[in-house]
Amino acid sequence: MRRHRRLKFEHEPQGLILNSLVDIALSLVIGFIVTIPLFFESGIFVNTPGVAKAGASDVSDIKVNIHLLDDGSILLNEEIVSYERLAELLPELLARSVARKVIVSTDANVRYEQVVTVLDLAKQKGAGQLALLRSKR
Amino acid sequence: MKRMANIDILPMACVGLILVLVMMVIAPMVMTHTQTHVDVPMAHTAETKTEENLTITYTNEGRLLVNDMEILPSELGQVIAAELEKDPFQLVIVRADKDVLHNDVLEILASVKQVGAKRIACATKKPKGD
Repeated sequence: MRRHRRLKFEHEPQGLILNSLVDIALSLVIGFIVTIPLFFESGIFVNTPGVAKAGASDVSDIKVNIHLLDDGSILLNEEIVSYERLAELLPELLARSVARKVIVSTDANVRYEQVVTVLDLAKQKGAGQLALLRSKR
Repeated sequence: MKRMANIDILPMACVGLILVLVMMVIAPMVMTHTQTHVDVPMAHTAETKTEENLTITYTNEGRLLVNDMEILPSELGQVIAAELEKDPFQLVIVRADKDVLHNDVLEILASVKQVGAKRIACATKKPKGD
């Protein structure tokens, strides 16, 4: 009789094991934190100075003018450069610039994505201010 | 022998799990301010923070929407000016499809700037694996 009672006590349920549930919940939270930047849109601040200003600026500073052509070529301060070369030259130019301003202008049929790619590159390479130039029509 | 009473945390864990799932579903809807799908360009730079903003959406089909309300391009300045009257320092986000012409986006940016927007940003999305 005594033995029977002890066995009954040993088989009594010990409660639910929550470890796996907590693990899944924690994994979901971590997954949520990691993937949230992919769901949300972010942005790049831009400045639009309006029409192209004629004449030289009063302040002498290293200029970083990027012009995108319709055929996909990139002009950096009037010289044709590849995207890779632009990535190399931008930090050097920006390091010598006080304002660290990058001015981007385009031909008429350039896709928006190309411009954003260049703006993004400029920001990554240390541009302080981005300006999109709109030519006078 | 008196047994110790355990706190049953199963319901709490379940509620927590459901809350996480609900947050995962609702958060993108609440925080993007617009339901119009636009394939914005990818960029590694993320300067804008989550804040109250005025969203201008320009789709690949040429539709123009301000906070999900479709407008004509000629009305853009007027609509933005009315919104900026409430808060001149409000962030204006231009969500343009990556395949549109940059000149069209420039026209939008110029109109926004003309009516006095102080802070303008171009919407981008972080590339996967970034």
